[in-house]
Amino acid sequence: MDPLFMACSYFRRRKFQLCAEICTALLEKNPYDQAAWSLKTRALTEMVYVDEVDIDQEGIAEVILDDNAIAQIARPGTSLKHPTTSQAGGPSPAVRPMSQAGRPISGFVRPGTSSGRPGTMEQAIKTPRTASTARPVTSASGRYVRLGTASMLTNPDGPFIHLSRLNISKYAGKPYLAKTLFEYIFHHENDVKSVSLFHQYFLSFSSIKLFNLAALATEHSQFKDWWWKVQLGKCYYRLGLHREAEKQFKSALKQQEMVDIFLYLSKVYIRLDQPLTVLVLLKEGLDHFPGEVTLLTGIARIHDEMNDIVSATEYYKDVLKQDNTNVEAIACIGSNHFYSDQPEIALRFYRRLLQMGVYNCQLFNNLGLCCFYAQQYDLTLSSFERALSLAVNDEEVADVWYNLGHIAVGIGDMTLAYQCFKLALANNNDHAEAYNNLAVLEMRKGHHEQAKGFLQTAASLAPHMYEPHYNFAALSDKVGDLQSSYVAAQKSAAAFPEHVNTRQLIKQLQQHFSML
Amino acid sequence: MSLFKARDWWSTTLGEHEEFDLGCLCVADVDNSGSGNDKIIIGSYKGILRVYSPQPSKPGATAQPEELILEIQLQDPILQVEVGKFVSGTELLHLAVLHPRKLSVFAVSGTMGTVEHGNQYQLKLMYEHNLQRTACNLTYGGFGGIKGRDLMCIQSMDGMLIFFEQESYSFGRYLPGFLLPGPLKYSSRSDSFITVSSSRQVENYKYQVLAVATDAETKQNSEQQKLGSGKKLTKDWIVNIGEQALDICIVSFMQAASSIFVLGERNLFCFKENGQLRFMKKMEYSPSCFLPYGSVSEGTINTLIGNHNNMLLIYQDVTLKWAAQLSHISVAVRVANFQDLKCVVVTLSDSGHLQCSYLGTDPSLFQAPKVESRELNYEEMDGELKELQRVIREAIKSQGILPQIKEDDLNVTILVSPNLDEIPVTIWSRLAVQNVKLSVCVLPPLAVTQDKFTFAEVAGTSRCVILSVFLKRSFPPAELGGDAAVSYSTQTGIPRIAHCKFSLPLKLVCQQSQPSKNATNKITIETNKPPVNLLALFPDFLGQSDDDQINVLGLKLFSGATTTVLASKTSRRYRVQCDQFEDLWLITKEIVQRLQENFASQGTQDFMCKFPGPIPLLEYFELIDKHFELRLNAEKYKELLSERAVQFRAIQRRLLTHFKDKTPTPLRNLDTLLDGTYRQLIALADAAEENQTDLCQAFTRLKSATQLIVLLISLWQGLSKDQVIILEAAFLPLIQDTQELGWEESVDAAIVHLLRNCLSKSSKDQALSFTSQLAMPKDTSRLKKHMTLLCDRLSKGAQLSLTTDSTQQTITIPGKLTTEQGECSLDTVL
Repeated sequence: MDPLFMACSYFRRRKFQLCAEICTALLEKNPYDQAAWSLKTRALTEMVYVDEVDIDQEGIAEVILDDNAIAQIARPGTSLKHPTTSQAGGPSPAVRPMSQAGRPISGFVRPGTSSGRPGTMEQAIKTPRTASTARPVTSASGRYVRLGTASMLTNPDGPFIHLSRLNISKYAGKPYLAKTLFEYIFHHENDVKSVSLFHQYFLSFSSIKLFNLAALATEHSQFKDWWWKVQLGKCYYRLGLHREAEKQFKSALKQQEMVDIFLYLSKVYIRLDQPLTVLVLLKEGLDHFPGEVTLLTGIARIHDEMNDIVSATEYYKDVLKQDNTNVEAIACIGSNHFYSDQPEIALRFYRRLLQMGVYNCQLFNNLGLCCFYAQQYDLTLSSFERALSLAVNDEEVADVWYNLGHIAVGIGDMTLAYQCFKLALANNNDHAEAYNNLAVLEMRKGHHEQAKGFLQTAASLAPHMYEPHYNFAALSDKVGDLQSSYVAAQKSAAAFPEHVNTRQLIKQLQQHFSML
Repeated sequence: MSLFKARDWWSTTLGEHEEFDLGCLCVADVDNSGSGNDKIIIGSYKGILRVYSPQPSKPGATAQPEELILEIQLQDPILQVEVGKFVSGTELLHLAVLHPRKLSVFAVSGTMGTVEHGNQYQLKLMYEHNLQRTACNLTYGGFGGIKGRDLMCIQSMDGMLIFFEQESYSFGRYLPGFLLPGPLKYSSRSDSFITVSSSRQVENYKYQVLAVATDAETKQNSEQQKLGSGKKLTKDWIVNIGEQALDICIVSFMQAASSIFVLGERNLFCFKENGQLRFMKKMEYSPSCFLPYGSVSEGTINTLIGNHNNMLLIYQDVTLKWAAQLSHISVAVRVANFQDLKCVVVTLSDSGHLQCSYLGTDPSLFQAPKVESRELNYEEMDGELKELQRVIREAIKSQGILPQIKEDDLNVTILVSPNLDEIPVTIWSRLAVQNVKLSVCVLPPLAVTQDKFTFAEVAGTSRCVILSVFLKRSFPPAELGGDAAVSYSTQTGIPRIAHCKFSLPLKLVCQQSQPSKNATNKITIETNKPPVNLLALFPDFLGQSDDDQINVLGLKLFSGATTTVLASKTSRRYRVQCDQFEDLWLITKEIVQRLQENFASQGTQDFMCKFPGPIPLLEYFELIDKHFELRLNAEKYKELLSERAVQFRAIQRRLLTHFKDKTPTPLRNLDTLLDGTYRQLIALADAAEENQTDLCQAFTRLKSATQLIVLLISLWQGLSKDQVIILEAAFLPLIQDTQELGWEESVDAAIVHLLRNCLSKSSKDQALSFTSQLAMPKDTSRLKKHMTLLCDRLSKGAQLSLTTDSTQQTITIPGKLTTEQGECSLDTVL
């Protein structure tokens, strides 16, 4: 059996480790075997390959040193930074909770859900950085690594390809080697060194190499190869040169329409905070590739981020028409139904996910809540029981206990509720909602000082929530501390301007003050 | 993720430890039975050729021996099996088997027996070609438009296309720009070969062009011929798809135009015959194999795609129509017709699992495992719940966070020996405990030689470590004591803590010196007992002396001022004097303590010290001001630093724009500015650090003075122990102060609280402004005022006690309190 043939076969069957081993043996015999070299490069790349479209984590350094002038005060509805809060049909924060960035919680965790750019470096560093919201200091911190693969790559005798010794112009002339080499540098070399101190230096170094390679190859192909243009755009994007990236992607798109190019370009526009352009672009993409799921999902995500839940749901439904096994779409529609007061329908969506084989804590948590609101009490507790047994980290446990506490409140068992919230806090002491609800329970017991303390903690942990502020205002109002009450009510109004009770409270307080 | 699984019709497992890949599966009526009954032909990399004819008695049945109609071990590994009209003079189907160095064509024939298991099948070699080069894959068809027979084309590992016209070799051609072999297929409509090359392009070569191009045999001379001969191998069309391909299929069905399907690593492409893209589909999984087949609806083509998540997906163009779970990762998929069932999906895994299945609504196998549940005994559970609730209630009542432990499993003892050199710390444990960590902590300026010790296990014995404490910085400490804490976990894994305090001798920080007559700060302490000889009080300093009556003792604190202790000969007074107010503390405390000890050892019960007053608040306030000033400085430095940092980043950004510019422009001294700002930043940071050190020193001094003040107040008013504790808690709330939460504001809040509650005389006092937010005050005047007020109240006989605390807090909130119950965090999935 020919070893190279076996290596190819292993590569086809995605047994990259075996493939790389055979190629290494071949290369030991003949170090100049280009075919084996190329195949090994591909295998090593494929081990760590992550679709560049899916990566979008903006580090603090990128955010702060971003010199692309973006309108600070954009017109409403044209920016991702200041989504309009009250679009027609959009849920109010009284119904649907907010994420830290001040957007309604989405049904699906995807890259960039928790974004929301801090204003200054100081602010960025000071924002509470709990484990769940931590933002990497720079995006070059090796988040591209797929777990469990990087360790396999430790090479006893140094790296496979010495980038510093690479004669790039030689490779750029050989199209069949250059593309493989480029992908190797882009995906593989970027993360192996992620921990080392020299990383920053190395990254910039390898970026320059990449850049040279891409630029040279583009020239070699007489600017006719769209693939190289896309790669050049990817390099520009990683370097934060968004306009240049846009130019490259557009030029590539002119040469040949590909789904990926549309997605890359939309990523650039999202970085540039131009959601409307993204929508236009993706819709144009849909004209070329009707029914392409990734494009549809892209549109739905933008609508979702813009708080336009109705349109987002429309597009998610389109996604399901094309691909009825799309977990993201099912989850998003489900959560949307839940928050628009249709727990029974949400329940059906989540049950579908369960039947499809999704089996995790979050799903059972959601099932439990839906069952409770749909008055199927017999299933509620067992769902939560499963959720607890499936939880993998403390945050998840805390969320389940928090919801259990909520249910205890619903059935009027205050002792149980109290204990549940306490347990939620024991598992995750950053749980602002649990603090708030605990404060309410303490208030009912008459422990006002304690309630005040809890509310203040909740407010400092989650300044975007209006509930602790309002509760604090109401409490202060009752005990006669009108000044604090007014201050807190103002904060509550800032977080949720349409809240009727807050408005009433402020009005009442203003009357008081004018009487004095 | 799928709702359903593929329904098993017939399945079997082939061999053991054999490997299979794409080319190893072929479905055809290979024995020309004419019944329309397909046979499954499988060759393995071990060289075993098998032919199956599945006839299950019922769906899901396992394979019976007679269904394996042929099994033969060939000498070489089998790379690919194909069935076609490979033998000249006949249109019967024959079997082509591709080995690495050989191509064999066999005829399969069967002789029917009288009973079913009497059927005999035979393999007869028709012809074979030995290959000069290692083969990779094989494609066949009527090249050049020949009808009724199939020619073969083999792609070798080094990029040569070798053509065979049935029994005879016709020619060989090298593919240009070749590196690794890609999939190769023949398209009969356009009479061309389609492959995906290493430069990630779909390339189309006309058979005509290949046939007339330069012969591969003469390739050695091709360098010279290149200029002369016009027979260069040119591509008909190329399309750049930007990725490598797994497989190619060319289909033409009645309902749809002939199209070329290319399964890439991440996308599925469909091209028209001229290379125009019909559609593409981005796949969010890794595909393993695919097969286009005819669709019932007009103008569309269905595609079966197997992926590495054990799924079989069926697309109609780009729309997902069905997804079914398979029991294995399939490397090859075919559709076959059998006797009683048309269009059965045949899949083969790389370990040799062969399955014939059909689509159905059998739910996918996944079943959530049962949650561990026990037999419910409601009475017992009720009892347990009650018991637990009782425990919880008690725990809440006692307010203690940790349960009281009656006997410790582990003890720490520290014996401070007077020779100062070594302090032995002994850990003794009754039971075996794990993960024992000892940490010893003293406050600066003192330091210990080693502050952390770790033992893996201490079992029933004692461990002893020796360390020593020394004065590290150049100011006297605020207290001569330290803490040793041991954290450990018991056998059951419960973490526990044991700790112990120790106090250090005064000798550590001071020595005897010449007493000085005059000093700015003086403190007089009166007692109700006759004076004691200083020799008896300070034997460790005055060790051997000729005088038996000493009234004056000078003590010099290392790196501090000299303190003089005077004992009156006649009256019952002692005087402590020093130039530095805060340095009085250690000595004063020592005297009071030693006096008490002295009298206690003599058996006197009613010994009392008294401070005649007034409290030296002015000197104290000076220290507060000094500390506060440093804090203000720190704040200033912080602001400056952030200002400079903003400037630095602004310059950086400017520079970045400059460098990014296409046309290089002069930097306009921005680099100098950057450098300057950087140096400013470093200088500021240095200054801030120095300030921090000063602040630490000032805080230690302040602490000394505060403790002195507390002592004096308690002596002055003769406060009880409880009251002293309250006072201490109010005055010394922090071990260390920080910029965010400093000493001034916390003490102010505490004193205001005391004034409002237990020391208040009238309701007017409650109007004392009480800020709910602890923030750094603008100046210390308020604090001073409150402290003076506190002393004043105490002197007028107010009682410090916390029992009256809650009298004013009885306003209850009536029922209706609109509260937002937060929200239910409907969690995110995945």
